[in-house]
Amino acid sequence: MGSEYMNNEVILSVKDLRINFRAYGGLVRAVRGIDFDLHRGETLAIVGESGSGKSVSIKAIMGILANNAIIESGEILYDGMDLTKVHEDDFHRIRGKRIGLIFQDPLSALNPIMKIGHQITEVLRLNDKMNKQDARAKALELMNAVGIPDAERRFEQYPFQFSGGMRQRIVIAIALAGNPEILICDEPTTALDVTVQAKILELINQIKKERNLSVIFITHDLGVVANMADRVNVMYAGKIVETGTSEEIFFEPAHPYTWALLSSMPDLHTKERLLAIPGTPPNMIFPPKGDAFAPRNQFAMRIDYEQEPPMFKISDTHAAATWLLHPQAEANGIKMPEALKARIDRMKGSEVQNG
Amino acid sequence: MIYDKNNLPEEIKNLPASAFESLHQEDIKDEKFKTKPVGFFKDAMIRLSKSRLSIISGAIILLIVLLAIIVPNITGYSYTEQNVEQQNLPPKIPGLEKLGIFDGTRVLTDRRKDKLDDTDRYPEGCILAVTNERIVKNVTMCDVKVDYYKYCGVAEGEYHWLGTDYLGRDQLTRLFRGARISLIIAAVTVVVNIVIGVIYGAVSGYCGGKVDIFMTHLAEVLDGMPYVVVTILFMLVFGAGMFSIILAMTVTGWIGTSRLIRAQFYRFKGREYVLAARTLGVPDRTLIFRHILPNCIGPLITRAMIAVPGAIFSESFLAYIGLGIAPPEPSIGILLSDGQSVLLQYPYQVIFPAILISALMVAFNLFSNGLRDALDPTKRGEE
Amino acid sequence: MLKYILSRIAAMLITLFLIMSLSFIVVRLMPMSLFENPEVPLEIQEQLEDKFHLNDPLPVQYFYFITDIVTDLDFGISVKLRPGLPVFGILIERLPPTILVNFLSLFISIPLGLIAGTAAALKRNTWVDHVISFFVVIFISVPSFVFASALQYFLAFKLGWFPTLYDTNAATLAEKFHSLILPIIALALGPIATIARYLRGELIENISSEYLLLARTKGLTKVQSIVRHAFRNSLIPISNTLIAMITGIMGGSLVIENIFAIPGQGGLTVKSIMAGDHFLTVACLIFYSVTSLVTILLVDLSYGLIDPRVRVGGKKS
Repeated sequence: MGSEYMNNEVILSVKDLRINFRAYGGLVRAVRGIDFDLHRGETLAIVGESGSGKSVSIKAIMGILANNAIIESGEILYDGMDLTKVHEDDFHRIRGKRIGLIFQDPLSALNPIMKIGHQITEVLRLNDKMNKQDARAKALELMNAVGIPDAERRFEQYPFQFSGGMRQRIVIAIALAGNPEILICDEPTTALDVTVQAKILELINQIKKERNLSVIFITHDLGVVANMADRVNVMYAGKIVETGTSEEIFFEPAHPYTWALLSSMPDLHTKERLLAIPGTPPNMIFPPKGDAFAPRNQFAMRIDYEQEPPMFKISDTHAAATWLLHPQAEANGIKMPEALKARIDRMKGSEVQNG
Repeated sequence: MIYDKNNLPEEIKNLPASAFESLHQEDIKDEKFKTKPVGFFKDAMIRLSKSRLSIISGAIILLIVLLAIIVPNITGYSYTEQNVEQQNLPPKIPGLEKLGIFDGTRVLTDRRKDKLDDTDRYPEGCILAVTNERIVKNVTMCDVKVDYYKYCGVAEGEYHWLGTDYLGRDQLTRLFRGARISLIIAAVTVVVNIVIGVIYGAVSGYCGGKVDIFMTHLAEVLDGMPYVVVTILFMLVFGAGMFSIILAMTVTGWIGTSRLIRAQFYRFKGREYVLAARTLGVPDRTLIFRHILPNCIGPLITRAMIAVPGAIFSESFLAYIGLGIAPPEPSIGILLSDGQSVLLQYPYQVIFPAILISALMVAFNLFSNGLRDALDPTKRGEE
Repeated sequence: MLKYILSRIAAMLITLFLIMSLSFIVVRLMPMSLFENPEVPLEIQEQLEDKFHLNDPLPVQYFYFITDIVTDLDFGISVKLRPGLPVFGILIERLPPTILVNFLSLFISIPLGLIAGTAAALKRNTWVDHVISFFVVIFISVPSFVFASALQYFLAFKLGWFPTLYDTNAATLAEKFHSLILPIIALALGPIATIARYLRGELIENISSEYLLLARTKGLTKVQSIVRHAFRNSLIPISNTLIAMITGIMGGSLVIENIFAIPGQGGLTVKSIMAGDHFLTVACLIFYSVTSLVTILLVDLSYGLIDPRVRVGGKKS
């Protein structure tokens, strides 16, 4: 699983993207050179802590970076365009119609005093010049597709009359209204109750299949990744530290940060303490020399403090930026911690059991 | 760039073995918080002092208050001293007069040229310049610039910095006496409003139930009455005077404060730890004074500051429509309205009170804005 | 919803009643010198005595007072200013200029205030914003009569661009309007500043809101999203500030009318207060109360209608 879309065409390609922010203290280097491709039909997950640069990257794709953001260099290639060079006045043709975005908090994302039916049909009527009946029909169809019951009546209601999960469905409906081919989900379940989270994730998967979408999924929760992603990019301090199919990431993680992430997930069977990752992400006004993760990395080597590791290839689909993959590093025998290996074996085992 | 393990570029193919030695930073801890916690008011004061606007306006207020206290006592004139011979003197300030402004001169228009030598009419030395000569009906007319002080026979060395009014009263003295009165009225009104508001709101919020409902409705009805109307009615009944003005302005002024306090009580009553504390036997008195009221102090101070310019405005408004304090006591409003009637001839009688009241109002508004931002609990810790 | 409307109307009537009662007390508390005043001609005195049933006990007088007003709109007779004439008639006669000035003032202040507030919010922290904010502070703090004096002195007297006083003998409508410009400006400055300040605050908050971001991401242009989402949402709390504005204008126009000698109801109020013509004063005050209370009521109700959270929320199942 995970690699079946690799043979499809690449519809979005990010090349060496670097983004800085002008802040009072100086220039914050939020994204320090990332490359990734999105293939048609796949779900690519981007995982990382707050401040890793994941949200900034997708804001760049949508063209909604804050005013104090500067795209220093790099390209975002989509449909023959470089999205970093598209002017704001033209971007509205791409947003919603070609690329859609689902927000984290549906409560603040919806206009509290506008009927939700209107919020769904607004773009259709304004920029697509659809007439009222057609737009309404389409909206009702969307509402049904995302699982909002009693759509006819709900069309005239306001956001405060819906529950959290329902609101998120509305946000999804709005995102789908323009028929985009790429859907970006920015932590869509973080603000929801646990019981509702699963339903929303299921919904996203379902509509992806139905409409043949390609999805970029941002999250800090590895559990969610397991359910949703074909491929995974792990980000830390503005760089992608590991990329691979979801199987490879879970069963053969290669970067110490990924190890730490996997270890810190709660697991019914472990008796050891959860491994929290000590320390805090680095100050991105003065990015560290070498591997940014080194100070918090219990497997760091001398070279990690001197030189930034390049991406080492592990397989056609799997690569990680860690000096541990250098041939000379194998000599000092650093390996994945035992506890983690055991857990992975357990996961594999249960996978086999579940078929 | 993805590197294949078997196909590394030269620069990283052969690295010293020492580069791959383990180098693990022991004892990585979460960052220690280096700053000490700062109390709420201290935090607020720091924030306040960072706002240049607040400091400037605060300084202006302080300056005016000081002047209001000192000036009427040191000018040498009393605010009631009338001297009809010295009526409507233009401003004359020692020192500045050399520059040609505030020099006590005035241009008298349409004078007969032949009468200029008459020393009864134009005392020795007072004529400074003669302009605009013209012939009207065979008589030579002109405009005369005179040293008005000499013209009125004012002794040499006697200065009225801001001139005099139609009764010859020194304007500088009256201006700051008026400022004093206006400020006192405003301050007393605000204090009374707050006291009444706190008590009313506390009783209403504490008791709850029917008492609360009744009190709230009563306040609502009172609040519904147009402020202008109520104040005028009261003034009509009680006549002019400081007491009546204060009374009139406190009839409905306390309502906003009472709502605030009541809301605090309600917010507080809903907390579980109150119930817990009560069960443990903590007397209500302690709860009220230790917990609820201290939380209100911030918004109360801000309200007070914002209310002051409102009170000053109301007082001057009442003065304009003839319901101010009784003469001869001045207030800024009275000075404005007295001056208004001679605006076109003697504008200085309006300009100075106008500047003063504008400065006061603007300064108070800016300062209370700054205070409100400083005391805003959501901004704690902001630089 | 209906309940809400009825309760607001009831509250308004209670307040009005309270004011009328207060006025009654005021009039009665005035020293009887009103009626024993030798200046007042005998016929008028007799008229008054008869009219106000002065020989009857107080509660009866009160009863007649209230019923006279409610049924006949009979507020009594002017004693000092226009002796003998029914107060109500005098009042009505003086209404048009006041209505004209107040209405025109509101008419220009709302659009100007909205424009200023929008400009300040959109060009936040630029010189446009700073200049507008500067003027906002000045216009809000400084009383309107100070501006009126300044305008009168500089623009009318010194520069001669406008007449210093309202020209009652103006031949054409244009001339009349010309002499009204200064008082209208003086009255409008405060409301313009208030509207601008509130709109700026609301707009800034709404422009940086998440739902505005969503509007952009779903494909609306920047202009479309600001107008259809941020601006619209900002107008709701503005309707609330209209209350303060309107009653502020009513109060301010008293003095402004005095300064510019506009023969309006405000000027009448001031004159009658100064002359001690209490029936007239009371009538003016009651009229003021009615107008401001009705305005408050209307704005209250509109607020309930504009914000769907209030409107629909009440009916939530």
